[in-house]
Amino acid sequence: MQITITVNGAKRELEVTPYTRLLDLLREDLGLTGVKEGCGKGECGACTVIMNGELTASCLVPAPQADQAEIVTVEGLGTKDDLHPIQESFVEAGAVQCGYCIPGMVLASKRLLDEKPKPTEKEVRYGLSGNICRCTGYAKIIDAVMLAADKLAVEGSDSND
Amino acid sequence: MKKFGRGMATIMFGFGYGEGFPDHSIASIEIKEDERIVIRTAAADVGQGVITTVIQIAAEILRINPNYFEVVQGDTHKTKNSGSTSATRQTYFTGNAVKKAAEDMLANLYHYGSLEFRSNHPEIAIEDGRIYMYDDPDDYISYWEMAERVKERGEKLEAEGSFFPVTYSPDENGQADKVYVAYTFLSQVIDIEIDTDTGTIDLLDVYSAIDLGKAINPKNVEGQIEGGTVQGLGMGMMEDQVIRNGKTLNAGMTDYLVPTSVDVPKFKHYLVEEEDSEGPFGAKGVGEPTLIAAAPALANAVYDAIGVRFFELPISPSKIKKALKEKEKEENS
Repeated sequence: MQITITVNGAKRELEVTPYTRLLDLLREDLGLTGVKEGCGKGECGACTVIMNGELTASCLVPAPQADQAEIVTVEGLGTKDDLHPIQESFVEAGAVQCGYCIPGMVLASKRLLDEKPKPTEKEVRYGLSGNICRCTGYAKIIDAVMLAADKLAVEGSDSND
Repeated sequence: MKKFGRGMATIMFGFGYGEGFPDHSIASIEIKEDERIVIRTAAADVGQGVITTVIQIAAEILRINPNYFEVVQGDTHKTKNSGSTSATRQTYFTGNAVKKAAEDMLANLYHYGSLEFRSNHPEIAIEDGRIYMYDDPDDYISYWEMAERVKERGEKLEAEGSFFPVTYSPDENGQADKVYVAYTFLSQVIDIEIDTDTGTIDLLDVYSAIDLGKAINPKNVEGQIEGGTVQGLGMGMMEDQVIRNGKTLNAGMTDYLVPTSVDVPKFKHYLVEEEDSEGPFGAKGVGEPTLIAAAPALANAVYDAIGVRFFELPISPSKIKKALKEKEKEENS
């Protein structure tokens, strides 16, 4: 069957089976390998994407359900040479070790900061709680999100001037 | 009711395979004409940061900006054996191999520099990717140009280093001259709060003092401590693999719980740089030792808070509730 989805701003028409997972569609058909498969059961957050503005475990979404949806993956945030402030903050805070959870973490951070530009540390902790990390102990990831909030606030005030 | 508790534990950890096992690492470095310095090592970076670390080490020895480096890693066609990424050994073993390769490369730069300038090593300066005579810094040969000139001689500007320390198997009394290459020491103090109604533990603060010889990359070291400690705390308070008749009953992340961002404490680190005589710039390993003290320190904190000793992990809320009930019964009888 045919579906239409907007991925990272680009509209796509794709042929999918009813049992294709959104995760596989993004990784295999569109080559967006920043979307990771962890548990495959919606428990770990590695496959997180932003779908219609909400954090979504792409391993649990049948592709037809994503018809007409707007999807953002980590590839839609920044590029290697032009990182998004959140990505920049992750690098600066030393928040990345093996990196497997990081795309999901970055998107969870984006969703949180879109809603709460000046979160408390507790809000950051809850905002990231659906994403499991086994390397970092989360401390530097939490630091990174607080840092990103500061960066985005400065950028915001610059653009208002 | 909330009850505060503070616990401490200290550990030591001999790293590398040790006990006489042949344990070594081989690395090489090549300076290319196209402004690249290539390090070849089989050391696998699984996120602990060995690639960053060896680049820092080589850049320090070769007196040049780390941005020029690239690392060919873990390719059996292109790299020699560096041993496994295990036993907390890569910074020490491959760090040393890369350091030796870089020192050999620096010697080569002096050697070819003396040929090009028709002079002696003491007259030659090497700094910021340039080779020149002390009395004429403007007339320099860059590393890249030197690579070109060495190529014209039919040779390559490359160097190799290996690190192969000897250890001994302990005798029947557990004694030997050197069982492990070195030991890392870690003390941790953990502050917690126990909710006596629910039996849950709130992790407040973790203070870690680690004797790691030298922190080559302090931020990576902190990341290792935080990650290892949180794994240890997970083991201490929630991770419980339930096996019945040979089958794991909770092979999933909703029933085998691991710590999330909500569970983790705040950290404060004290890096004790008591340099090791053999480690690269005095560094020792900091991977696995970071996990070990957490659970015993937690168990001590639990004892401090509610006066109950636990000898089995994890110290789950249900175990705490049960212990508190039994304690109450004993006190009333």
